[in-house]
Amino acid sequence: MPIQQRGLNARNWLGFLPFLLFCLAFEFVPIIFLFRGSFLDKTTHQFTTNHFLSLAKPLFLNSFWNSIKISGLSAIIGVIVGTGIGYAIYRWPSEQFRHALIALSDVTTNFAGAPLAFAFIIILGMNGVITQFLLKYFQYKLYPKFSIYSFSGLLLAYIYFQLPLMVLIIIPAFAGIRKEWEESAKSLGANTFMFWWRIGLPILTPSLLAGLTLLFANAFGAYATAYTLVESQLSLVTLQIGYMIAGEVRHDPGIGMAMAVMSLLIMGLSIGIYQVASLRARRWLRS
Amino acid sequence: MEKNNIVAPLSKSKNKRKPALWQIILIFIFLFYMLVPILSTYIFSVATRWDRTILPEGLTLNSYARAFKASYFNSSLRNSMILSLSTVFVSLCLIIPTVYWVHIRFPAAKSFLEVLMILPFGIPTVVLALALVQAYNVTPIGRTPFLLIGAVFIYSMPFMYRPVANALRAIDAHTLTEAGQSLGATTFQILMKVIIPNIFPGIISGSLLVFATVFAEFTLTKLIIGARFKTFPLLLVEYTRINGNVAAAFSVISFTIAWLVSLLILWVSRKGQGASAEALRAR
Amino acid sequence: MAYLELKNVSKTFTNVVAVKDFTLDIEKGSLVSFLGPSGCGKTTTLRMIAGFEQPDSGTIILDGVDITPIPPNQRDIGMVFQAYALFPNMTVRQNVAFGLQMKKTPKDELEKRVKDVLEMVRLQETAKRFPHELSGGQQQRVALARALAVRPRVLLLDEPLSALDAEVRVALRGEIRRIQSELAITTIYVTHDQEEALSISDRVVVMDKGLIQQVGTPIEIYRSPQTRFVATFIGTANQFFGKVAGKKLIVSDGLKILVAKMNSFKEGEEVVVLVRPESIHVTTEQQKREGWNSISGVVETVTFHGAVTRLGVNVNNRRIVADIVAAKTEPISLNQKVWLMFPIDVCQVMAKEG
Repeated sequence: MPIQQRGLNARNWLGFLPFLLFCLAFEFVPIIFLFRGSFLDKTTHQFTTNHFLSLAKPLFLNSFWNSIKISGLSAIIGVIVGTGIGYAIYRWPSEQFRHALIALSDVTTNFAGAPLAFAFIIILGMNGVITQFLLKYFQYKLYPKFSIYSFSGLLLAYIYFQLPLMVLIIIPAFAGIRKEWEESAKSLGANTFMFWWRIGLPILTPSLLAGLTLLFANAFGAYATAYTLVESQLSLVTLQIGYMIAGEVRHDPGIGMAMAVMSLLIMGLSIGIYQVASLRARRWLRS
Repeated sequence: MEKNNIVAPLSKSKNKRKPALWQIILIFIFLFYMLVPILSTYIFSVATRWDRTILPEGLTLNSYARAFKASYFNSSLRNSMILSLSTVFVSLCLIIPTVYWVHIRFPAAKSFLEVLMILPFGIPTVVLALALVQAYNVTPIGRTPFLLIGAVFIYSMPFMYRPVANALRAIDAHTLTEAGQSLGATTFQILMKVIIPNIFPGIISGSLLVFATVFAEFTLTKLIIGARFKTFPLLLVEYTRINGNVAAAFSVISFTIAWLVSLLILWVSRKGQGASAEALRAR
Repeated sequence: MAYLELKNVSKTFTNVVAVKDFTLDIEKGSLVSFLGPSGCGKTTTLRMIAGFEQPDSGTIILDGVDITPIPPNQRDIGMVFQAYALFPNMTVRQNVAFGLQMKKTPKDELEKRVKDVLEMVRLQETAKRFPHELSGGQQQRVALARALAVRPRVLLLDEPLSALDAEVRVALRGEIRRIQSELAITTIYVTHDQEEALSISDRVVVMDKGLIQQVGTPIEIYRSPQTRFVATFIGTANQFFGKVAGKKLIVSDGLKILVAKMNSFKEGEEVVVLVRPESIHVTTEQQKREGWNSISGVVETVTFHGAVTRLGVNVNNRRIVADIVAAKTEPISLNQKVWLMFPIDVCQVMAKEG
């Protein structure tokens, strides 16, 4: 390509325009309106921070706390257990089996939503398979201590799609730890624990952080699974916003937008850290 | 590559080793957790009654019969297909030329494009729905399938972008473009006759991914249009509150479509690897 | 008793025999090269000495102790890998200090050792940098410093220079040899590059297909190869296939070649006579000299190699290669008829196989 044709001149913007316009129309402009609306008093058309202040009310505060709690818990459990499973898969001798498990993870991590929620109702609902199993063979009454239609139930469902996501993130990270590093360390007198502590784990850390933040964002933004499973039983940010759109609750729309803006900030922070961490992780893989 | 090369075995290919006990336990727990919900759904969809016993009391295909006869069954499948195929079409038309253009003519925009493709992951679907509904409610496209297609496109565009961008990188698009130009072709001709045929596996993967993602999409559809454009996932959720067995049947149909698409993607990417390896060798 | 002894060490991988019956004594403080083509077993043998592979049979004895059952992190053997293998999350200083930390060396001594060894490889200023900020040659020097910091009993190098540019390779191999002699550390150096092996080793072990072909000093290996493999792997050799036709005569396709040493070959046996290109004198007129062979041919190719010019001469439809020093010979042109003369004592007679 001749030098004068590349670069930032007007003609080159042209080719980029259709796509950019589409993004503007369906992504950026609406979100800018969202920000605007969150600071706007509907009646007086004046700037106000009231909507954000209203979020401190117990109803909304509760929903934020629940969302952060479930996202954080499912992320931490997902990272810890997922890393263990990922390592078990990585060190499995049969290549075919490894590929099969990775393919399975690929499919199950996308399995969130209503079918997943429903599947959990089938197994852990009041008359669920596992509920009955525990009753029959262990005389253990799962209900009413536990309910699938609650925070803990939803947590179990969230873990279902968080685990394989972490597995998919961590296996390439293990592959990036070269055998020569372990052998070098051994030739210098380190045992296996020392190697992991001084070299393996530090190299793995960006991937672990990436996993944590991605899983957090993944859970925080989830809607369909929660809608199907807990609906009115549990207050979550995404559910609240959903109610406001559907007109199922009568709040000042500004509050809904303020909630949305807060969510964007939380998600933005999460994904931001994720980007930085995964770039760092990729650097190790390249060396 | 000489095959008589005696290579020291890597930790991954020690075929004589057996897995350790901790590995077996962990994998067993993993498989149990992943497969039990799915298998239970399959069994529930063919069960007569299953709320008092460990195993279903009887088996029947009744639920499927009821499912196929459900009102809105045909229309919801049709709507889902329309939505998915339209989104794939829009994605193909918008993303492929843009990615090629940026790659060849506008590399300064590359990191901007990458950021744009990460953004959808940072925007919860409810937030996107709220933003779009608020912005377009008073306009003609408010609460119409067109707005929905726009929303769903934004949501699914990274899934088309990634395979296509990777494929483009793998074929050395620069050299091919220069070769095409030296033979008198315009950019459009090169794109259609040279680039697209060579990144075809990537395009197919991307299309399948977008299709599968949109087919299973619930949130945007419900919040932007809702009952006026009932897609398959909406129907499924409805039935979870009405008739569990039929909902299970719908779930099974949902999974099956998802598995098929995944298998197709796997098959295409394997064939694609062969093709691009072939192309690289010819160089 | 030698410092490092390998006795009948063998290793098989699935269906392939990697190393067969490897027996070798290595003197303390010497630099021994394992030289051979890819897949000859040299790296496998090295890794068995390091402890990363277990021999199927045989023993490895270091300073009188059988180290075969001892795990690698307790053998006190330093290793430098082809791919440098520097820990990417640590600075140069931290990398070099690692082994000393494993040995719980006290802080003062640790700092001093690290400083000394970095000076030895001339990289003191890079101490605070990370591996990815260094060039390939620098990284390899750090890897060397890291292995040497703990003063190992044996130093193993697995093709340390093959990932580097030619210029860096030549400079660095000289450095490695210098440091090795200064420290008088027993060293084993694996390479497929014969120039490398010949230029720095005290002794060379030539290997092929898992077996030792020959052990000797570089000069012995080059001037007195014992098998056809060694003769053709090291340097170039012209091969005359023929039959023994007398006490000192071999007939090869109509050519009569006189040799000084027939070894134990009998009349009628099929043999190969090897003659190195640099031993051949090229003349434009036929000359008769006592104790010299003389064969004629036509020059087909002339290739200029700088210090030496290589001629490809057609002798009875066979290509014979002769090297001439341009400055000392009259210019030779294509299609010229020449006589190739070589003394009978540079002719190596070997069995046809091997």
